Amino acid sequence: NMSSQLSSLPLQILLYVNGIYYIFYFLATLAMIIYKSQVFSYPDDFLAPDLAVLFLMAILEVPRLYLGFKGNLTEAEAPLGLSLGLTVGSVVLCMYLLLWQTYVLWADVLLNALLLAAYALESGLKVTAIAAFVS
Amino acid sequence: VAKLCVCDLLVAQCDVNCCCDPDCSADDFSLFTTCSVPVVTGDSHLCSQKAAVYSLDVEANPPERIFNLIDQVNPSIFCIHSTNYKQALYLKSPEIPTPENFDRLLDEYGGATFSAEPDSWNLDTDTENPPDANETYRYEYGVPVQTEDAFLRLPSPVVSSWCSDANPAGFLVNQATKCIRSVSVEKCDSIQALSMLFYINSSILAVMFRSDTSVFQVNITVQSIVVQSVDGMRTLLNSSDVLRLPVVLGELCLNAVLGVNYHITYTDTGEIIEAAAAFVLGAISKEALSIEQSFEISFTQENTQPVPLSGNPGYVVGLPVRAGFRPQGYPFPAEILSSKHSQLTILQSTSTQDCLAAQGARAPVLFGYNMISGCKLRITAATKCQPLAQTLLDVLKGQSFPEYVASFGNSQAQDVLDWVPITQLHISEQILSNTLQSSCQIPVSLGIEVKWTKYGSLVNPQARIVDVTATITTTTLKQLPSGRERIIPVMSSVVFTDISSPAEPGYKAWPTINIRLPFDFFYPFI
Repeated sequence: NMSSQLSSLPLQILLYVNGIYYIFYFLATLAMIIYKSQVFSYPDDFLAPDLAVLFLMAILEVPRLYLGFKGNLTEAEAPLGLSLGLTVGSVVLCMYLLLWQTYVLWADVLLNALLLAAYALESGLKVTAIAAFVS
Repeated sequence: VAKLCVCDLLVAQCDVNCCCDPDCSADDFSLFTTCSVPVVTGDSHLCSQKAAVYSLDVEANPPERIFNLIDQVNPSIFCIHSTNYKQALYLKSPEIPTPENFDRLLDEYGGATFSAEPDSWNLDTDTENPPDANETYRYEYGVPVQTEDAFLRLPSPVVSSWCSDANPAGFLVNQATKCIRSVSVEKCDSIQALSMLFYINSSILAVMFRSDTSVFQVNITVQSIVVQSVDGMRTLLNSSDVLRLPVVLGELCLNAVLGVNYHITYTDTGEIIEAAAAFVLGAISKEALSIEQSFEISFTQENTQPVPLSGNPGYVVGLPVRAGFRPQGYPFPAEILSSKHSQLTILQSTSTQDCLAAQGARAPVLFGYNMISGCKLRITAATKCQPLAQTLLDVLKGQSFPEYVASFGNSQAQDVLDWVPITQLHISEQILSNTLQSSCQIPVSLGIEVKWTKYGSLVNPQARIVDVTATITTTTLKQLPSGRERIIPVMSSVVFTDISSPAEPGYKAWPTINIRLPFDFFYPFI
């Protein structure tokens, strides 16, 4: 009997790429915020929320990716479900950085759109994986 | 953007070469040569913005203006796509003051500087430290010195020469005043201003008065008492502890205060720690209806020896020229000794005009004051030349003629390079004889020439002494036949010469005619 593998390979690849891309995204967004604060008028009570959202997203990303890896590899739906929940939070924060930041540069739009696309694809793959694990 | 025009300066008139000016008609445009403002845009950081482009079509006849409203795209990846901060791209219009927000605006912007960031998030505006309870109000320059009841008084003439007791002494302001007080001998023990007690009974506050704590008070001590007799002779009393009050004795009033000299010692933090008064008491005779009182106050910092400066830094006209000696012995001594006994002085003419009797009376050389003085010397046949020459040299030069003169009014003793050596010259007047210098020479004149220059900025030049030359002129003493006598005039003078180079006017260069022929003017011959 061949044991069928329920773990989703595309999801694994996507999670891995997401991890690498997120590191680049975090550093780029931080650098751009620093650039914006030097070139434009960026008072402190506008700068603080933007930085807080960015760091919160970074803090959320680590457990999200870890749970995703673990759930997919152990074929358990609970961590995958939790990761999906955290993905929702990350999507909200990403939308904030895309739409409601103080200054949204064209580079910001590109990075955030790409991240959103990755999240959407990931969520879709997680749902199918959960469906596969449950059944 | 289409309505903005930067070059439209004249109202209701057409500005030249301003293509966006709405006051210009098509005829005006045909006279323009170029457009001074080709593009009017918003903030160039935005990714896409509207731009109004103006250009002149010079091909057409007549030239006409072309106006285009286009979308300008910023190709950079860091262009601003959108912004949620309304004030980011516009200049903030300032708040108009109204009665409600006036106080707040005054707090924020009323000072000499204010920060560009709004300080609504500055949390500690209400925890500003309240005035420190231990802070003392120190004396500052010019502030009246306070005593326990009022101020320390220095009587001085106000409008006329009569003494007014309402003049307070300022901290660190050295003053000397003289004024006239009307007296009557019968009531002289009841006139307060004539008694010592009036000047020392109130004690001086060490720092300025504060209502909540008690301030340390400094008593005025009596430093010395000099008693002046009716004919003007002054004697210093040995014991200055006894308070001498005015007393009427016959036709005189004794122990009346003729002069007070206050000496206040202060610390470098502005507190007064000591106060002393030196009195000159005198006797007033019955006929006198008024006496002249003189008052002086001087401030000394504690643990310092005050050196009177003659200017800071340049010499002030009228102040004595500072001079000193360089101690001998070590190769490069680091100090010039300057004391009261090594002043640069000049012989002072007396009423008797006799050189030998005039020894001792000398006048200090004051900067900027040319002085000449002299005396007459009577020579008989019996006078010996050598001792006479020495005596005359002493008369002319004084007891200790200094070797160095301070270059600036505030030259310190440690800066040896700030002191100018006195050059001594010797000129002998030969009265046409080739007979020899075995006949002795006596000095008959001393001329001190002080060369000074203006130093520093043109607006505030400071006087600086550059060179001092003391020239002694000697002449031969001819032996007199016995019984005859001769009178020789002896002269000394001080001359101050300004050797500063005058300011030179600067003129603009002459305009030149610049004619250059073209390179190939003489083609084809050259």
